[in-house]
Amino acid sequence: MTRWLTLISLLIVAGVIVGVILTRFQVFAAPEQPIAYSHQTHIETGVPCLFCHTSALHSDIAGIPSVQKCMGCHSIIATDDPDVQILAAYWERGEPIPWIRVSKQPDFVYFSHQAHLAASENCEDCHGEVARMSITQPAVKMDMGWCLECHLKQPEEKLARLADCLTCHK
Amino acid sequence: MPKTLTRRDMLKITAGAVSAAGLAPAFRRIVIEPFVDPPEEVLPGQANWYASTCRQCPAGCGIVVRTINGRAKKIEGNPLHPLNRGKLCARGQAGLQVLYNPDRLKNAVLQTGGRNSRQFVPLYWPEALDLLKEKIVNLSNPDRLVFLAGLMPDHLYSLSSKLLGALGAAPPVIFDLLSALEGRASAARLSELFFDTPDLPVYDIARSDVVLSFGANLLETWMSPVAQNMAFGSMRQGMMGRRGLLVQCEPRLSATAASADEWIPVRPGAEGYVALAIGRIIVEERLGHVGNHRPQAVLYQNVEVREMAAASDVPVETLHRLARAFADADRAVAIPGGYLAGQRNGIASMLAVQALNLVVAQIGRVGGVYLSNAGPIAELGPKSPVNPFTDILELISRMSAGEIDLLLIHGANPLYELPPAAGFAEAITRVPFVVSFSPFVDETAVWSDLILPDHTYLESWGCQVPAPGADRPVISSQQPVVRPLYDTQSTANVLLGLAAHLGGDAAQALPWTDEPAYLEEIVGSLHSSSLGAYDARTPTDLWALWRQFGGWWSGKEIRREPEMTEIVEQPLPVSEPQFAGEAENYPYTLYPYPSTLLSDGRGANLPWLQEAPDPMTTVQWGMWVELNPDTARDLGVVDDDVVQVESPHGALEAPVVVYPGIRPDVVAIPIGQGHHVYTRFAQSVNGSNPVALLAPVTDPDSGSLAWGATRVRIKLTGKKQTLARLESLDGKGRESLG
Repeated sequence: MTRWLTLISLLIVAGVIVGVILTRFQVFAAPEQPIAYSHQTHIETGVPCLFCHTSALHSDIAGIPSVQKCMGCHSIIATDDPDVQILAAYWERGEPIPWIRVSKQPDFVYFSHQAHLAASENCEDCHGEVARMSITQPAVKMDMGWCLECHLKQPEEKLARLADCLTCHK
Repeated sequence: MPKTLTRRDMLKITAGAVSAAGLAPAFRRIVIEPFVDPPEEVLPGQANWYASTCRQCPAGCGIVVRTINGRAKKIEGNPLHPLNRGKLCARGQAGLQVLYNPDRLKNAVLQTGGRNSRQFVPLYWPEALDLLKEKIVNLSNPDRLVFLAGLMPDHLYSLSSKLLGALGAAPPVIFDLLSALEGRASAARLSELFFDTPDLPVYDIARSDVVLSFGANLLETWMSPVAQNMAFGSMRQGMMGRRGLLVQCEPRLSATAASADEWIPVRPGAEGYVALAIGRIIVEERLGHVGNHRPQAVLYQNVEVREMAAASDVPVETLHRLARAFADADRAVAIPGGYLAGQRNGIASMLAVQALNLVVAQIGRVGGVYLSNAGPIAELGPKSPVNPFTDILELISRMSAGEIDLLLIHGANPLYELPPAAGFAEAITRVPFVVSFSPFVDETAVWSDLILPDHTYLESWGCQVPAPGADRPVISSQQPVVRPLYDTQSTANVLLGLAAHLGGDAAQALPWTDEPAYLEEIVGSLHSSSLGAYDARTPTDLWALWRQFGGWWSGKEIRREPEMTEIVEQPLPVSEPQFAGEAENYPYTLYPYPSTLLSDGRGANLPWLQEAPDPMTTVQWGMWVELNPDTARDLGVVDDDVVQVESPHGALEAPVVVYPGIRPDVVAIPIGQGHHVYTRFAQSVNGSNPVALLAPVTDPDSGSLAWGATRVRIKLTGKKQTLARLESLDGKGRESLG
């Protein structure tokens, strides 16, 4: 009996360890997207981030471009590309593209793109070298320790505000 | 040996669950769907607030709706709107669940397996319009087409009347249960008798020192509850150094009576007697400060105070006290409410109450009763009237006689709202083709052949002149705050499309391309008025500002003083209440009252309203029968015992709530539950519809449904059903239950 219990306990411990490893692995995994979109291709052709993620300068969220915006170029550019054809099919059907979120913040975090861009942060400071990613994947684990790493390095006059819990947990 | 859960097992299970739960978030896939074609004013992540008009009841409160990424998130009152000034009730807040209701109809459907088969086959809108056109063209006589509707936005009434007129048919018949419970048809009749206009008067509660309310649940569902709640607050606290007095006369303690200073439990149907006695005392004893009452003496020549006191079960001393308080007040107002209209002597009682305002010279005065001034809005089009119940009875007999070939139903649910004894359920089977415009499959829609679901109000255009109105001319705007979620069509657009399709007179009568074009035209004419609260130089300016502000209204207060008719020179009628069911067999009077949250049942499809506790009994998700503790003791029942309530016309079973705030000879049941269709939420509640018990009797003076004039008896069933209540019945705070 004791032997069985020990075995089960060990199995649970092993399960948790494997789970934790998988979790760490999963955090940095690139989710499978409905269209194999490449940031690298777009940025190499000279499209700046804010061309598509227009609201980052003015809003809390950067925004995902509308299907109409994609079609603004892809009605004539690369129309024979199979992925662009998938895009065009969404447009034809009038359906939104169900992108899978890559950079996640929990619901209890208040994060604003506008505030960070206003403080002269660049997109790649948080999102990594997206310009070199053919498939977008998380560059960093966006947890509180990581946020504070930067917040605590800020000039003294800003520190009180940036280290305040209520700045992000409203 | 039976297996028991040991501490060790428990620990193992916990460890497993914790590790599983810990892993879960890492694998969470969040889908983000951008717009296909974004509206130009939308900035992702930033909220847009759109002003519109609430349609959860006919009051017409202004709302602002917070939308983010094209989704409506929160409804609040419009702070600029003169009617509700930023306030909103629970029903208004719950409007989001109308929009997002999972059981909405998502497209036009045809019921193919026959009525009530619930075999709904999706239909393309052009086909649906063709079908409707075919049915209209094939009518042998336009009289055989009837449009039955609940109170609808003004523009829709106007458009449907124009279309029906062009086709040679009668204008829409307007009837819904809430309007009947509010006594709208009777109130309009009372205004006609007193002021020679069907416009509903405004009772200036806010600036009154003494308010005598006769069966008007003015803080719950009656007429314009949000405006009245605000006015009540001002009456209590808004006047420097003064606190207004509210006295509520009705057989059951409503939430309004609970907020009042005094509740007078009058014998059902005898409220008018109380008003007559008070008037007689004021005139006879020359109370108050308006000088001698000689001109009004004629009104009360048939009134004997002691008789009235005995008949109404209110002591003479109380009547004297009320008369003195009412007459001595600087400003006093008496309000004839919906419960009065629901009696067979409705108009007589309401006349007696309105006469009190005359006796203390409060007609047209501050803190009294006045009429809304429509200003330039009066020229915009006809206001939707409410037809008396006798018109419905006539319609039912025409339907039964096979004189109706096509019945269109919008915003009304007669199979739920009408007493079954009126015979609508049988009559509808004689109508060859029935079209419903309901966004939900309700009791009437299942008996339709074709359902052309209207948009919900957060997806719709519209305009509405609130009735009763505010202290100034107002026309509220309604605009879509989100794009329609599904393939539904606004009924106004269906009518416009149909008119174009039909051609001829119909197309000429309705020449507009779509609903906003019609609204722009009618509202644009207001730009020339100098009264507006904002400047609009051109009709186009006004069209934009009208939507932005949530309507058009005057910048300053403008009221209309009513002009009295000769009725004030005749003796007031003393009319005895009459009830269906003889007193020996049916000892209790039934009081089916509108639920504060579900109103006449239209809110039963919204879980937020179902789960909100009833203000007086704190019951959630349920319906019940209220009995006085003495009555309950006599019957030998306690809380949660199921009883059968039986009238000459029907019976239902429901659990008892022993309620001290009700006369021993009255049984009260909230209206709203007992839906057998109308979404999963409404269907899931174990309840019945008390309208099923009602006799289809009317007040002969107004033709209104006398919904409070049925007697019932009670039988024990021996069953029990525990009601979910927020407040426990363990004794704490319920000491009055004994």
